[in-house]
Amino acid sequence: MRTAISIAGVTVLALVALAADEATVERGRKEAGLACTPCHSLRLVQSQRLSRAAWNKELDKMAGWGTKMTDRDALLEYLVANYGDDKPPSPPAMSKNGFTPGKQP
Amino acid sequence: MPFSRRHLFATLASGAIASHVARAADDTIAIPGKRPMILHNDRPEDLETPVRYFDSWLTPIEVFFVRQHLPRPQAINPESYRLTVNGMVSKPLQLTLDELKKLPQFTVPATIECTGNGRGFYSPKVPGIQWMRGAIGNAEWRGPRVSDVLKMAGVNSSAAFIETDGADVGLASTPDFVRSLPMNKAMHPATILALSMNGRTPDIHGFPVRLIVPGWDGTSSVKWVVRVSATAQASTGFFMNPGYRYPKYALPPGTPARPAELEVIEGMPVKSCITAPEDQQKIALEPATIRGFAWAGENAIERVEVSTDGGSRWRDAQLSPKKLPFAWRLWSLEWTPADPGYYTLLSRATDTAGRVQPIVSPWNPSGYLWNAIDRVGITVEKSA
Repeated sequence: MRTAISIAGVTVLALVALAADEATVERGRKEAGLACTPCHSLRLVQSQRLSRAAWNKELDKMAGWGTKMTDRDALLEYLVANYGDDKPPSPPAMSKNGFTPGKQP
Repeated sequence: MPFSRRHLFATLASGAIASHVARAADDTIAIPGKRPMILHNDRPEDLETPVRYFDSWLTPIEVFFVRQHLPRPQAINPESYRLTVNGMVSKPLQLTLDELKKLPQFTVPATIECTGNGRGFYSPKVPGIQWMRGAIGNAEWRGPRVSDVLKMAGVNSSAAFIETDGADVGLASTPDFVRSLPMNKAMHPATILALSMNGRTPDIHGFPVRLIVPGWDGTSSVKWVVRVSATAQASTGFFMNPGYRYPKYALPPGTPARPAELEVIEGMPVKSCITAPEDQQKIALEPATIRGFAWAGENAIERVEVSTDGGSRWRDAQLSPKKLPFAWRLWSLEWTPADPGYYTLLSRATDTAGRVQPIVSPWNPSGYLWNAIDRVGITVEKSA
C-alpha cells in the first residue's frame, strides 16, 4: 500500500515537473521566434546539436551582438530540449530550383 | 523518478524534432539563380553544393556554395560604385569600376573553400554551419591585381597588412565583416580584385568586386569590396579575433579554446573528397567509376589514392590534367567490385609539398579545416 502511494506520489511529481518543463520549452520556442529571427532564419538554430553549456555560450555571444531576450532561461531550455547534443542530426533541407538556364539573377 | 521523467521528456522532445524536420522539408524555398542546394540557412543564405554537381573542373555558378555572415547588401549600382583605397598610401583613391577594368586583367583559377567545410564531421559537435563536403567550389576569377591597385595608390613600404571591408553591414550589434591580409600575400600576383567569376558577375558571390586570396580559406576572399586600407597592424575586429582562428597546439576534443594560443588561419591543408558514389548509395555489381576532387591550398595536388577495402590496399586515381597551385584536381578510379556487399571507400591526397591527408582531422572548437581521409560506405547489389 505504502509502495502504491509512493509510486502515485512520484508520478504526480513527475507530471508536475514535466508540465513545468513543457510550458517552459513552449515559452522558449516563442522566444526563439522573437529573439533569433530578426537577424537569421531558425534553420541556423535547428541544424545545431549542442550541449547546454555550448548553447548557453551561444546565447552569451548573441546577447553581445544585440539580441534582445526577454525569456532567456526558457529559450535555453527549448534549445537543449530540441537541439541538444544527445539528439540525432536532422536531415538537411534542400532548396527548390531557382535557376533558369540563360538567365542571371 | 529521474529516469521516467527523462524518458517522457525525451519522447516529447523527439516529437518536437519530428515536427521541425517535417516543416523544414515542406517549406523549402528557391534561391534565385541557384539549382537545388543543401539549405543550411535561407536568411542570410548559407547554401551547400550537393556532391553530385562536382563533376566539372569549373563549378557552375548555379551550384556554387554560398556563405553569408551578414545579410547580402542591396545590389550595387556599377555606375555609382567606388572602391576606396586609403590608409598608409601617398595617394588615396576612389576608383570606379571602369578604372578597375582598365588596369591589366588576370585570370586566376582558384578553389574557394569555407573555413568550416566539413564541420559536420567533427565530434563532439561544435557550433556553426554544419557543412559536410560541399562548401567548396572551383572557379576562374578575373580582375586586376591588388598589387597594381596598391602601387597606384603609392602604398607605404612599412604597411604590413591590407584591411578589406565589404558593403555588407551587421544587424543589431553584429560586427562588420572586415578582414586583414598580410602585405606579402596581398602583393602576390595571384591575389586579385575579381570583377568576374566564370565570366559572370553574380552579386550573391560578392560582385561587382570580390577579393580573391588564392589558396587561403574562403573567409579571406571578402565579397562586395568597397574599401582597401593599407595598415601597420591587423584588424582586431571579431572576424579576425577570435573569429577564424585555429589552435596553435591541438586540444583534447570538447575542450574550450585557449584564446592566447589561437592563430590566424593562413593557407589550407591538403584534402580530397569522394563525390561518387555517394555515401550510403546502392550500386549495381558492375564496373563503376569512383570520383572526387582534391586540393591543397597554395600547393598543387600530386597524387590521390583510393581504397575500396577500408584502407588495406590503395590504388592511384587518375588526376585531371591541370596541376596548378590554388586550384583543385578532379580524380577518378575505375573499379569493378568482385562481390556484392557493403564496401568502405576511402580517398587520400598528397600535395606537391609532400603533405598527406591524415586519418584523423584535429578537433578544434570552431570546427575549421576538416581534412581527414574521406570515407563513404556503399552497398553493391547483384544485378537483377
